Amino acid sequence: MNTPPGLSGLVGQSVTRVEDDRLLTGRGRYVADVDPPGVLHAAFLRSPLAHARIKSIEVAAAKRAPEVVAVFTGADMARLTRPFPPFFMLPGLYNPSFPAMSADKVRHVGDLVALVVAESRYAAEDGLELIVVDYEPLPPVASIAQALSPTSEPVWEKAGGNVLYDFTDTFGDVDAIFAAADRVITERFSCHRQSNQPMETRGTVIEVDPDDSHLTVHSATQSSHLLRWMIAALTGKRSTLSSLRRFVTNTERRRGFVTAAREFIRDNAQELRRQDPAGMRAQFSKDRTSVIGVNLLGISLLGKDDYPTVKAHDIGGAFGSKGQVAREDIALAAAAIEIGRSVKWIEDRVENLTDGGQAREEDLAVSIAVDHDGTFRGLKVDITIDQGAFPGFPVGAPGFTRIIKTMLPGSYHWDGFEMRSRVVATNKGKYVAYRGPWANETWARERMIDVVARTLGLSPTEVRLKNMIDESDMPTAMITGPKIDQTMSTKKTLVRAVELMNPQAFQNDRQSAAAEGRYLGLGMACYHEAAPGHYEYWDSINPGTNLLLAERARTTVDPDGAITVYTSQMPHGQSHETTFVQIVADELGVPREDVRLVWGDTDKTPFTIGGTGGSRGAPIGGGAVRKASREVRQLIVERAAQMLEAATEDIGIVAGNVHVKGVPSRGLTFAEIAHEATVAKRDRTEPAFDVTSTYRGHTDCGWSTATHACIVEIDLETGLVKIPRYVVVEDCGPVINPAVVDGQVRGGVAQGIGAVLYEHCAYDDAANPQATTYMDYLIPTAMEIPDIEVHHLQTLSPGENDFRGIGEGGMIGAPAAITNAIEDALAPFGARVTDQYLPPTRILQLAHVIGHD
Amino acid sequence: MKIPRFEYHRSESLDEALVLLAEHGDDAKILAGGQSLLPMMALRLAAPAHLIDIGRVRGFETVSLGDSGAVSLGALVRQATAERSPDIARRAPLIHDAAPHVAHRAIRTVGTVCGSIAHADPAAEMPAVALAAGATMVAKSTSGTREIAADDFFLGYLHTALRPDELLTEVRFPVWPATATSAVVEVSRRHGDYALVGLACRVEIDGVVITDAALAFFGVGTTPVRVTEAERGLAGQPISEDLVAEAAKVVSASLSPGADIHGSTEYRRHLAGVLTRRALTRATTHIGGRT
Amino acid sequence: MTTVPVAFVINGRRVEFMVEPRRALADAIRDDLGLTGTHLGCEHGVCGACTVLVDGQPARSCLMLAVQAEGADVTTIEGLAHGDEPHPIQRAMREAHGFQCGFCTPGFLMSAVALLAENPAPTRDQIRAELSGNLCRCTGYQSIIDGVEIAVRLLATTSDGAGT
Repeated sequence: MNTPPGLSGLVGQSVTRVEDDRLLTGRGRYVADVDPPGVLHAAFLRSPLAHARIKSIEVAAAKRAPEVVAVFTGADMARLTRPFPPFFMLPGLYNPSFPAMSADKVRHVGDLVALVVAESRYAAEDGLELIVVDYEPLPPVASIAQALSPTSEPVWEKAGGNVLYDFTDTFGDVDAIFAAADRVITERFSCHRQSNQPMETRGTVIEVDPDDSHLTVHSATQSSHLLRWMIAALTGKRSTLSSLRRFVTNTERRRGFVTAAREFIRDNAQELRRQDPAGMRAQFSKDRTSVIGVNLLGISLLGKDDYPTVKAHDIGGAFGSKGQVAREDIALAAAAIEIGRSVKWIEDRVENLTDGGQAREEDLAVSIAVDHDGTFRGLKVDITIDQGAFPGFPVGAPGFTRIIKTMLPGSYHWDGFEMRSRVVATNKGKYVAYRGPWANETWARERMIDVVARTLGLSPTEVRLKNMIDESDMPTAMITGPKIDQTMSTKKTLVRAVELMNPQAFQNDRQSAAAEGRYLGLGMACYHEAAPGHYEYWDSINPGTNLLLAERARTTVDPDGAITVYTSQMPHGQSHETTFVQIVADELGVPREDVRLVWGDTDKTPFTIGGTGGSRGAPIGGGAVRKASREVRQLIVERAAQMLEAATEDIGIVAGNVHVKGVPSRGLTFAEIAHEATVAKRDRTEPAFDVTSTYRGHTDCGWSTATHACIVEIDLETGLVKIPRYVVVEDCGPVINPAVVDGQVRGGVAQGIGAVLYEHCAYDDAANPQATTYMDYLIPTAMEIPDIEVHHLQTLSPGENDFRGIGEGGMIGAPAAITNAIEDALAPFGARVTDQYLPPTRILQLAHVIGHD
Repeated sequence: MKIPRFEYHRSESLDEALVLLAEHGDDAKILAGGQSLLPMMALRLAAPAHLIDIGRVRGFETVSLGDSGAVSLGALVRQATAERSPDIARRAPLIHDAAPHVAHRAIRTVGTVCGSIAHADPAAEMPAVALAAGATMVAKSTSGTREIAADDFFLGYLHTALRPDELLTEVRFPVWPATATSAVVEVSRRHGDYALVGLACRVEIDGVVITDAALAFFGVGTTPVRVTEAERGLAGQPISEDLVAEAAKVVSASLSPGADIHGSTEYRRHLAGVLTRRALTRATTHIGGRT
Repeated sequence: MTTVPVAFVINGRRVEFMVEPRRALADAIRDDLGLTGTHLGCEHGVCGACTVLVDGQPARSCLMLAVQAEGADVTTIEGLAHGDEPHPIQRAMREAHGFQCGFCTPGFLMSAVALLAENPAPTRDQIRAELSGNLCRCTGYQSIIDGVEIAVRLLATTSDGAGT
């Protein structure tokens, strides 16, 4: 069953955005705009050293400073908060537990040492300058190479070194494949550290109700429910015994918990059975207290009477960085509770560049076993990720290796695949999810395919087409497990992209340009991504992770006919307020003005751990609202059938008119139907119709695919790279709002261009960050990003809900396409591109125009 | 990133400003446009105890035209004004050529030419322009007036010959020779960024012979730098591709730019040579018969 | 805390209030005057989210002290519409799906208004160059440039020209 055009015909149209009403007039409400009466302002003192013990800290002068209300040190926070537990456990992984603020030791420049709360941010920063800290420097760990050395100073003492994760996955008889191969081609790739850098930094306002001390937390967060639970779990510290006593004696809470737990276990029994205890065992063997800490945390949660409300309003972008529960958020909540007043923290840009979220610093050694004719046989990869000092919470680098491992083989046939994943700790800012956190699998693989092609004297397109999985092979599965169906249309996107780029014509262009001293190159890259992936896909990532796939949504119709949809999604630029309304309006057959979306408020929205990220928005979030709305539609139709004395199958809805098909004059409005339904109810203020529904993800394979192709032009005098043409052929199934999809793709490609040519989260040999302002971390401007052609293929599939995600794809394909094009342009100089970061200096070194310093 | 406390003084006149400078000079900064100073204060890299706001001093916004064709820019002449002024375009074309490279329009609205020169960032355009044009900086204090030649003005990184009690009230550009052409070229990572390397170039040509040349580089050291060896190599020579290539070589060999995350030393050295060639070629394209 | 008086016109309305000399114009606009449409993205003059018009010209309100706006005529995004009637640039951006998260939007709109006031018929390249002083992380800029082009057409067909 293909996705039928909706009743209102909105899905598929680039309807204008609901959000623009307020965002274009300056009436958006971002966290910095939230100002509870009497709110105080916070500023954090951050370590200037990358690795050091804190010998002493003097805050008396800061406490006395004008307008300063309170100062907290790491030791104060240890009294008031519990440490973050090791949330994600994998076999072979050590995940440190860590406190909200640092008391004994600092582990990166920017580590949290003290918190000043004052009447204004100005005064708080003045207060910071009066704090005196005596540091005893420790040898810094500044690179993957250093971290791999057993003699490097341990960042986390109980980890037994700086390698926190080491795990090898093997599929097929890899050794035999490599031994029998015609050729084995090897290369080492190095990706640099980048940063998400949304235009809005992080920020949280802890609003304390003066009467009952209830916390309302306003935050630019991608997951309001997760933040709520973690603040509840980590603050308001009391003894375990006290928590247990309170839990046991609170009958209502105890009963509610048991019911909810029973329901959760029943709904997720399969997934829970598949959870692998090896991870917990590995963690326990290195650090007993952290595992015990997790359980104590659970008990402390049970003893809590009042959980905070978390609200997100408008969010100025995130790209993964705001899905973390920040140490700052826990410290702020503890401070607000202690002071008894509202506290506000808006991160500044230097803070955000220092520790607002970093990503992609990975080394990948790649070996391919091929036949002489370019047929792929085996693939071996050894990847090491530099996760910085503090682990991402709830998920960070180790979790992403699981996705990398699953996706690295790409849309190609392989007989065998092996990957060793290592994650090291260094004294740098934390590694977080960044738009397609696994993206380097595409970069390394697509780069390597070009290397193989060049080595064998074949064209890269030839090698791709020869090895790519074809529709005639389907259904099949990736060598790493996930099923493949026609939604994996990578080959179609590649064929179309080749048509559009016209490589023959390009060769002519290249020659005439070379005669003028201009160096052109053509590069392509292909990938498919789980958006969100088949229900079983997540099992291949890590057993039992498909817990995350389920999402609930609620649709209500008020007595006056107004329709409200409640989602757990947290829009921060994705236009859910518009696209979800399109989906719901289409389902119900009403004008979109009659539908309104509610999100971001934990008091109102259904619980989810996931929030927005991982390309879940359209498929899962969209699937959930559609399902709930479909169920409401059925109730409406049934009630209308009664009222009109007709059969339900004879009822149709057009533009909000619920009528007997063919007789529009015999119709009812939603208001009339809702009124009728309410008459019978006891509570007339309740919604007339109220459905909460759980959507468990796709029954098809839920892949999105694309081929990126670009032409670069290199000025060999300056090393500057222009991009005269950039083409994306993408397939994310039926498109809800084409303008929104185009925007997502272009934004992702822009970040990919930024990554290759402009952006580097640089650290020196002593782990001091070198790019802490926008003078040094270079976000590309309108002059650096070309117009990008986006072509849509819309491969449909028989699944019940066909919407597939597209948010991350732009950034997955772009670095590979661009670096491939650059190597192509520099081919006359025998250049081999193995870095992802190619600033002008590097370009000229690769072309042998200049030497190294 | 909030600006630290300071004592604020608003001067209504030049004399007021000078008296304030005499009193607080050692720990005071002048606020004209603030486009260089305020970001440093927001980053708490600069925290002067006193800020003397000259934004209201009458007469500072004047572009004065000298009888013989010279032009003088007062302390409050905004970069945007300099960019649009036809008088400046005619009389000090180096300013006109440099202005579009200076950051972005919003910065040029408020930032001043004199402010940029007094701030002396070695990667900025206007200090190099002053050097290439042979401008004179007019510095006033309660002790009197000093005229400082551009060659003597830039002493080090963000460090000029201005004494703590002196205010740069105007920058005087000499008559632009009728035989001179100007070119300002730069390479930056992104449009509007500080230059990786830039060149403000004045070339005087008689027929096909270069009679005088000023090659003032920015982004190559702690101050803007004139490569006098290359300039001497050009003087008195007929223009030719070989001459230009030789000048580029000399420039690359003479400079020792520092390395940073945006470019290596070798890269900047190389770039300086490229810009030499590009600027000289642009400045001499109108001349026919080059070999 | 020493404060000094400052007075200027903002969105056509005269305001007068006391302010610390060190207070940035952006903070005065947002917190003292409650006009939160102007956003702070970097506080060091690079991202352009804080761009407002001062005497009709674009300026970074994070790089101006409030006291420097004394006597000036300031326009923010809240001052673009005429009552309920959106400014052509706002209509154009809606049509073009110009923006996504909306955080950079106010700065872009003010820069675009300034551009069109000076040059009512810029080429696409000119638009691109002029807007290069505003950073966006969501869109890749193409939709924003498309929006300015639509605004050019809208303004060409209205009688009151390209002004605020």
